[in-house]
Amino acid sequence: MKKNSITLLVIAAAVVAAVLIFNPFYIIEEGNQVVVTRFGEIIDSSAKAGLHLKMPFVDVVTTYPTKVMSLEGDSQRIPTRENQFIIVDTTSRWKITDPVKFYESVTSIESAYSRLSDVIDSAVRTVITSSSLNDVVRNSNLINELQHSENFALGADAQEVQLSQITGEKVIYENITKGRSELSKNMADIASQKVPEFGIELLDIVLRQIKYSDELTESVYNRMIKERNQIAQTFRSTGEGKKAEWMGKLENERRTILSEAYNKAEVIKGEADALASRIYAESYSKDPEFYGFWKSIESYKKTLPNFDKVLSTDMEFFRYLYSANGR
Amino acid sequence: MPNLSRSVRTNDETAAASAPGGFMDNGNTRKAFRFSPSLFIVAFLVLLALVLASTSFIIVDQTEEAVILRFGKYLNTVGPGLHYKMPLGIDKSFNVPTKTVLTEQFGFRTLKGGVNNQYQNNLTQESTMLTGDLNIVDVEWIIQYRITDARSWLFNVHETVRNSTIRDVSQSVINSLVGDRAILDVIGPERQAIENNSITMMNEKLKEFGIGVHVINVQLQNIVPPAGVQSAFEDVNKAIQDMNRLINEGKEAYNSQIPKASGEAEKAVQEAQGYAAERVNRAQGDVARFNSVYNEYRKAPEVTRKRLYLETVESLFAEEKGTNLVDKNLENFLPLKNLGTGGN
Repeated sequence: MKKNSITLLVIAAAVVAAVLIFNPFYIIEEGNQVVVTRFGEIIDSSAKAGLHLKMPFVDVVTTYPTKVMSLEGDSQRIPTRENQFIIVDTTSRWKITDPVKFYESVTSIESAYSRLSDVIDSAVRTVITSSSLNDVVRNSNLINELQHSENFALGADAQEVQLSQITGEKVIYENITKGRSELSKNMADIASQKVPEFGIELLDIVLRQIKYSDELTESVYNRMIKERNQIAQTFRSTGEGKKAEWMGKLENERRTILSEAYNKAEVIKGEADALASRIYAESYSKDPEFYGFWKSIESYKKTLPNFDKVLSTDMEFFRYLYSANGR
Repeated sequence: MPNLSRSVRTNDETAAASAPGGFMDNGNTRKAFRFSPSLFIVAFLVLLALVLASTSFIIVDQTEEAVILRFGKYLNTVGPGLHYKMPLGIDKSFNVPTKTVLTEQFGFRTLKGGVNNQYQNNLTQESTMLTGDLNIVDVEWIIQYRITDARSWLFNVHETVRNSTIRDVSQSVINSLVGDRAILDVIGPERQAIENNSITMMNEKLKEFGIGVHVINVQLQNIVPPAGVQSAFEDVNKAIQDMNRLINEGKEAYNSQIPKASGEAEKAVQEAQGYAAERVNRAQGDVARFNSVYNEYRKAPEVTRKRLYLETVESLFAEEKGTNLVDKNLENFLPLKNLGTGGN
């Protein structure tokens, strides 16, 4: 019994040791592929996940991913067809489709990066330099279908302000023929032609970000600032115009109101004068001579005290001054 | 030396006596406990069982799914709970958070989440873009996505670039959509369209790579002109305020003058009416008086006329002093008058 179990134990240990030492198995995990070399010569390649057998000691298994890999392109400063310098930031995705070729021509992932980088940078440069800035930036002609209306918070005071006079006429932008995604495809096509020899498939090149070069940025800022200033100025002068309008309206209405009142007042006065005149005339015309006398003496009462007087005794009043019988 | 060895021996004997069942790999204890192969096997088996047990079970959280590989080959995907797998590395498991909504931020980062979030803004290398009218704009946004296919997620895209693939796709899509629109549209009315289109475009692109994720939401955050021109954009708002101020100034002047003018107009009319009333009343008064006097006068014209004349002159002279009276017979008499009195 005891002897038996010892024997079993020894056999088991031996088997385990043999497997560990010779290890005729290898595992291909999902997402990986292998190249098996024997004395440096490729004898097998596989992407089938699972447990596989190999010849111990002599076979060397090199594993590569079948997974999608990525490559950060350098930020390149490239002139467009119009010779405007832009900074293009690309990224691309690739995978190893032919592990045998890859093993032969590139061997390590690290050197694949540098090969690909050269190919991609050159493709990007080729396409960008032969395209217009509009083609690089835009993807379609959608921009011409949109309204470009800007929402200004004008507030309740400015309801009378017409927005059209501020936003100006609609700009029609140059139509593009290719556009960004088309150019990306072009780049990928150009670069793809050069990578199959590495056993690589290039999936895409993406324009991740496009920026103006620093000098260009400065002048674009200036243009944007001027454009905004122009709008701001429009608002300010619209305000001034509206104010002037109000002032004009004010002057107009003030003068109208006052002159109408003057008119009305004079008419009233005139009518009253006429009425008074008629009243006087009706009455006084009964005896004009007496009116003359009466009005005169009434008038003397009022006016004479204001005069410095030297009177002559010749007056009717003094008729009895020298003689009781008068004169 | 012998002394020392004896003392050791004594100690050993004491130890053996106090712990008869203990393992003591010592020359002395070997006599008490003979090495037994069965004991070794038991120990080995216990150890083996422990190792097997520790590598045979996996725990999958409610938020996760686990992908199990047998000898590297996909076996199955299991849901939350406790699961058995083959031990000793025969089965490998990968837990993937398929229920969790994951977020990526662009142009900013949340530095510290909490009641008051702290952000790092102005990551312009992500947020600066060109618009279709060749202006520059800074766009910050987030995407929310979920891993929908754990197997694809694990094995289709290399683990080091999964995250960057999602980010790159998101960035290129947003750049492309912004590049198709004028800056004012991007800042204003096209926000929603960009968000909606970007979800579709990102998902299409991600599907091409078979990365096994689905973007469920894209939210544009701050969309602002670049720092260098922000003051000019601000100035437009200021200009609008200025415009409103000017309009109000005009209205104020109008409102301050017109009611006043209306009042003045009313005053002039009222005064004219007063004048008219006065004029007519006076006329009627004057006429009434004249008529009364005239009626009496007609009864005795001569006497009345004389009386009126004399009374008038009397009333005039009664209050006067210093009037010069000159005899009508004095020829060539010029009364001396101080003509300067009324002057300087």
